Amino acid sequence: MSKGVRTAELVEKGLKRRYRAEWMFQAYGIAAVSLGIIFVLFLFYSVISKGYTSFAQTYVQLEIQYDEQIIDPEGARDIETLRMADYMSLVRTSLKDMFPQVEGRANLRKLYELVSSNAPFRLQNRVMDDPALLGTTQKVWVLAGDEVDQFMKGQITADEEESTRPLNDQQLAWIGVLEQRGVIEKRFNTEFFTNGDSREPEQAGVAGAAMGSFFTLIVTLLLSFPIGVASAVYLEEFAPRNRWTDLIEVNINNLAAVPSIVFGLLGLAVFINFFGLPRSAPLVGGLVLTLMTLPTIIIASRASLKAVPPSIREAALGMGASQIQMVAHHVLPLAMPGMLTGTIIGMARALGESAPLLMIGMVAFIVDVPQAITDPSTALPVQIYLWADSPERAFVERTSGAIMVLLLFLLLMNGLAVILRNRFERRW
Amino acid sequence: MNTPLTEEHTAPAAAPVEDSHAGINVKPSQRKHAIADLAQQAGGKTVGVVSVDDPIMSAKGVNVYYGDKHAIREVSLDIGRNQVISMIGPSGCGKSTFLRCLNRMNDTIEGARVTGSITMEGRDIYDRRQDVVQLRARVGMVFQKPNPFPKSIYENVSYGPRIHGLASDRVEMDEIVQTSLQRAGLWEEVKDRLLQPGTSLSGGQQQRLCIARAIAIDPEVILMDEPCSALDPIATARIEDLIDELRASYAICIVTHSMQQAARVSQRTAYFHLGDLIEVGETDRIFTNPRHKLTEDYITGRFG
Repeated sequence: MSKGVRTAELVEKGLKRRYRAEWMFQAYGIAAVSLGIIFVLFLFYSVISKGYTSFAQTYVQLEIQYDEQIIDPEGARDIETLRMADYMSLVRTSLKDMFPQVEGRANLRKLYELVSSNAPFRLQNRVMDDPALLGTTQKVWVLAGDEVDQFMKGQITADEEESTRPLNDQQLAWIGVLEQRGVIEKRFNTEFFTNGDSREPEQAGVAGAAMGSFFTLIVTLLLSFPIGVASAVYLEEFAPRNRWTDLIEVNINNLAAVPSIVFGLLGLAVFINFFGLPRSAPLVGGLVLTLMTLPTIIIASRASLKAVPPSIREAALGMGASQIQMVAHHVLPLAMPGMLTGTIIGMARALGESAPLLMIGMVAFIVDVPQAITDPSTALPVQIYLWADSPERAFVERTSGAIMVLLLFLLLMNGLAVILRNRFERRW
Repeated sequence: MNTPLTEEHTAPAAAPVEDSHAGINVKPSQRKHAIADLAQQAGGKTVGVVSVDDPIMSAKGVNVYYGDKHAIREVSLDIGRNQVISMIGPSGCGKSTFLRCLNRMNDTIEGARVTGSITMEGRDIYDRRQDVVQLRARVGMVFQKPNPFPKSIYENVSYGPRIHGLASDRVEMDEIVQTSLQRAGLWEEVKDRLLQPGTSLSGGQQQRLCIARAIAIDPEVILMDEPCSALDPIATARIEDLIDELRASYAICIVTHSMQQAARVSQRTAYFHLGDLIEVGETDRIFTNPRHKLTEDYITGRFG
C-alpha cells in the first residue's frame, strides 16, 4: 500500500516536467509550421505583387493612313508587295501627325519609341488580311513601348531623376497628351499568353515556354511512368534477390541524388551528340527529364508495392494465380495510388527543372511557339531564368508573371494527382 | 523423385548437455531441457500410424529449411480422402510450414528449401514438370487472417474460376458463385449485396467468403491455417460446422492452436514439436490415450 502511494507521489513530482516537455515540443512544431507558412506567404506576396501587372498591357491608338503610294504604288495588290511594304513609315507618319511640333532626328526617335516595334507588323497583318484597307484611314490600337507601359503601371515615375529615368521629360509630356486625348489605355494582356519570347518586353509571352514545358512533360510522362512502374514491379515482384539486384537498388537510390545538371550533360552526350537528335527540342528535354525522374518514380513505386499487404498476395497465389496474375489483378491496383503520387512528385520536379535543359540547348532564344516535340523551344523555368537575366525593367513583372503561370501549372498537376488518386482508391 | 537425405537430419541434432532425465514436473528452468531431451528421443521417429489407405496426398521424409534454419525434420504423413486432419503443437513447431508445403506456398518465401517427397495421387508435386498454378488449383488454402480481395463479394468468389477458365459464360459464373457461397453458408447473408466490397463483411463472414472463394475452384484438398484464430466463438462454431460439411467432398488439413477445435472437427490429429512430427493418430485416441510423453504434456496443458 505504502509503495503505491510512493509511486503516485513520484509520478506527481514528474508530471510538471512531463507536461512542460510536451508543451515545448508542441511549441516547436507550431513555430516550425508558422515559419514555413510565413515564408510561403512572403513568396506568394512577392511574386504576385510584382507579377500581377504583367497581366495588363498598355496600348496606344494610332490613326493610320493606309497610303497606297507607300504600300502598293503599282496597285498590283500581290502578296509579296503587300508583305514587303514599308509599314514603319505609316506608324511614324501617324505619330508625327499627332505631334506635329516635334523636330530633329533625336526627338523623333524618342517619339517613335512610344509605340512598340511590332506596330508595323500589326499593320502588315491587317493589310494582308484585308487589302481593301488601302487608301482608307483607320484607328488602330497598337502595343505601347515597354517603357511607356512601365510608366502607365507606375513602375517608372516622374519623380525619378531624368538622367536615370528610361523616359525623358518630353516623352512624359507626350504620354500626358495621349492620356488627355484618351488614346492610351491598359488592357488585359492576351499576348502574354499567346506570344513566344521576344527581346522587346511588351511583345514577350509565355506561350512558347508553356508549350515547350507541356511537350517536354508529355514526353517525360509517357516514358517515365511505364518504364518506372515496370522496373519497380520487376525489381519488387520478380527479380531474384542477389548481388546484382542489390547493386541495381543501390544505384537507383544514388541516381535519385545525382545533381540534375549531370543528367543534362548525359543527354547532351548521348541523345544529341551520339544519336543526333535535334538540339533545344522538347523530345530531348523529355528524355533527359525522364532519366532524372525515373529513380524517384521507381523508389516511390517500390515503396507502394511493398506496402501492399502480403495477405493479398498469399490469397491470390493460394487461389492458383500465377505471379503475373497476382501482380496485375491485385497488387498493381492497390499500389497504383502510391505510384501515381510518386509520378506526380517526379513530374512536378521535372516541371520546375532548368539545369539539365540548359545543357541540351533549351535555353536558346526562341520566338516561335513550338508545335511539335521536335521544334526548338524553351521551358517555363528556363524562360523565367532568361527574363530574370534581362536588363529591361519591364522584364521584372514578366518574370514574376511567368512564375505565376508555372505555379498554376504545378497546382493543376497536383489537383489532377489528387483526383486520379481518389478515383483509383475508391474503385478498388 | 526421392531426394537423398542430407546429413543434417541423419546426424543427431545437437549433443545433449544436460544429463537430467527428470520428468516434466520440475522447476521451469529445468523444464526446457527436459523437453529438449524428449524431443531428441523422438529423433524423427513418429509415434502412431502416419499412413492411411488410398491417401490423396502423401509426404515422405520432408525437410524444410529456411536459410540455415531447419524448420521441419523428416516428416512423413498421409492426407486421407474425405476426412479432416488437424495439426497441433506449440508455436514454431512447424505445423504451418508443413501445411504450406502441401500447396508449395513455401516457394514464395525467400531462402526456403524443401527436400523429401510429397505426392498427390501418386505424382510428386515438387517435380520439375509440376505446374504450381495447377497444383494450387487442386489444393486450395484458407489463411489465418481473413484476407478477401479488396473487390466485391462476387469478384472474390469468381476470381478463381475466372483465372482458371472454369466458367464459359456469365450464367455459369453466377451459378458457381451462388453454389460456392451457399456451400460456405454465406449466401443468405450476402445475396442482396454481391457487388459490395468483401472487406465490408464481418470477420466471420469474411472467413466464410474466403472458404467460398477456395471451394469455387472445386479443389481436392483444402488447407486451413488457423482459420478461426481471429474469430469469436460464434463465428468459430459456424466455420467448424462448415468444415464438417465440407468433409464430404474434400480432404481438409487444418492447423489449429485450439485443442478443443482439433478434437471437434478432425478425424486424425498430428502433433508437431520443434520441427518433428511426434505423434499421429485417430483424434479420439490422441486426446484420450496419447502414447508419447510430449503429446500428453501438450494436450494436458503442461506446456505450450
